[in-house]
This record gives sequence, C-alpha cells and structure tokens, in this order.
Amino acid sequence: MTNPRLPLPTGTEIRTAPRPMTRERMRWYVDAQPTIGADDGRIHTQPPTIHDDDAYARKNGLPGIIADGMISTNWIQGLLCDLFGEAVASRSRLRTKYIAPIYEDQIVIAAVRVTSVAHTMAGVTSYALDVWCEDDAGKMLTVGEALVHVA
Amino acid sequence: MAVGRYVSDLDTGDVLGPVEYVLSPFVVREYAHANEMHHPFFQGLREGLVMPPTLIHLDKLRLYNHACPAGTGPDARIHYEYDCTVHEPVRVGARLSVGGRVTQRFTKRGRDMMIIEMELHDVANGRLLVSYRDTVLLAYAPKQVAKEAAAS
Repeated sequence: MTNPRLPLPTGTEIRTAPRPMTRERMRWYVDAQPTIGADDGRIHTQPPTIHDDDAYARKNGLPGIIADGMISTNWIQGLLCDLFGEAVASRSRLRTKYIAPIYEDQIVIAAVRVTSVAHTMAGVTSYALDVWCEDDAGKMLTVGEALVHVA
Repeated sequence: MAVGRYVSDLDTGDVLGPVEYVLSPFVVREYAHANEMHHPFFQGLREGLVMPPTLIHLDKLRLYNHACPAGTGPDARIHYEYDCTVHEPVRVGARLSVGGRVTQRFTKRGRDMMIIEMELHDVANGRLLVSYRDTVLLAYAPKQVAKEAAAS
C-alpha cells in the first residue's frame, strides 16, 4: 500500500498532530516489552522502570518519569509508514538520536522533511529525509535521518 | 568478557546470542498497538503482516536476557541512539536468528556508554534481513555524581 501523497518533492515537510506524552503512553511501551518477550497472548508487567515509576526515576537522578526513546522513534516511523506504506518495513534505514528527555505530558510532534529524491532504472524511488520530534515550543527532542526505497 | 552476569558488566568484544525464535502475529500487532502504528501491514490479519523495523530493539532485550540473566545492574540504562537498516521485509511465521556484539564501551562526559551491533537473519536461507546499531548510556547520572550520592 502506498500513500496517495506520493511522489513527495524535495523540501516537503510533514508533521503529525501534537500528542501529549502521557503516563499511559509511557506505560504502554513498558508493558509491551515483557508481553512481547513472553509471546503467550497475555499481558505481562515488569519491575519499576524510569518510564513508569517516579520514585525509581528520581533514584536514578531524573526529576520524574521520562519516555522511552523508542516511543519517539516509533512515532517517526509511524509517520514514515503513513507516507510510504509497507516500503518502510521492506527496505529502509532510520537513525534517531535522543537529545532531550521527554517528560510526562510534554507535547510531542513527529516531523519529516524530504532532503533528496533519487529514481533508479529499476523503478525504485529513494527518499532521503531529515526526521525529528519536537515539543509545542519547537524544542528538538529527537533528531535523525531516514532513507526509504519505494518500489 | 562479561557475558553471564549483568548488562552493566558487558564490555567491548562480548558476543550476545545468537538466539532463534519465530516471529508471531501477536508480537507484531502488540508492538504496533503499543506504539500507535495502526497500519494494516502491522495490525491486520496474519497473512501480510510484517515486522515493524523498530521491533529489532526488543531483540536487544532478548539478547540481554539470554547473555545477562542477572539483569540490568545497579542503574537504569538510557537509550541514546537507534540506527536500523532493513534489507528485506521480515514476515510473520519466519524463523529468525538474532545475534549481537558489543563493539564499543567508553566513557563520554563522565558517563559510561555502550554500542551494540546486531544482525537478524532468516534461518531458512541465511539471508540478512535487518542490521541494527544501538547506543546506550549505562546510567543517567555521571560516575562522579553517582559516587558522591552513594557516599552521602
């Protein structure tokens, strides 16, 4: 499935709607880890983490719980899937770096900007993109690059 | 070599895995749901389901659990960088083999950091499906701060 917005010209910038990084969103990711590890169809939980337990987070030098970095990476990946469909899971690269913690209820916007488009003889279009998450004040939280090959 | 104890003991050159498993529809759908990726190729019926590339990050935890059964260690890790290349789609039902190696452990601005490089292969034909490079801080507080906190 390919998004009808394709092709995207160089310079195109697309953002998700703002999402608050709620305590629940952080916990969904925490609980997903042992649940997926068990792979038995039931939900599993794990001992306190810096993503779901304020006291444990403070013990580790943080002011309170912070989001697992993979949530922002996944929100970027989700936006890429909105644009490029299954190609993201077929032939792609995504690199993200977490440059600022994301705290409870901080607003997060995922964004991508097309930096180049290349067409091959085989009919594949390769999109290079800058990707990032920012808060509602424009503060950068997660930054990176992506490359998606669309057949 | 520090395999067999805590994740925080891992050092450059340590080899993790390989570990084999079969990618299930439950794992793909559950991970996609937890991350609000409601795309049909992640959350549809079994036929056509494909692994979200980011799921490779949980294979790192699979390797940690295998190589370091004693657990995390004294401090919580903080993920710093994710770098994943998908060479071919990973389909539900595939038997997979994941392995990794600690390529660097170093100190930056007083914090211990570690880089692990991993590969996910299709057991049936040996093809490389996903490459992953993961960088973590082994503790949020710099070493000196942690020492002072422990002493007080």
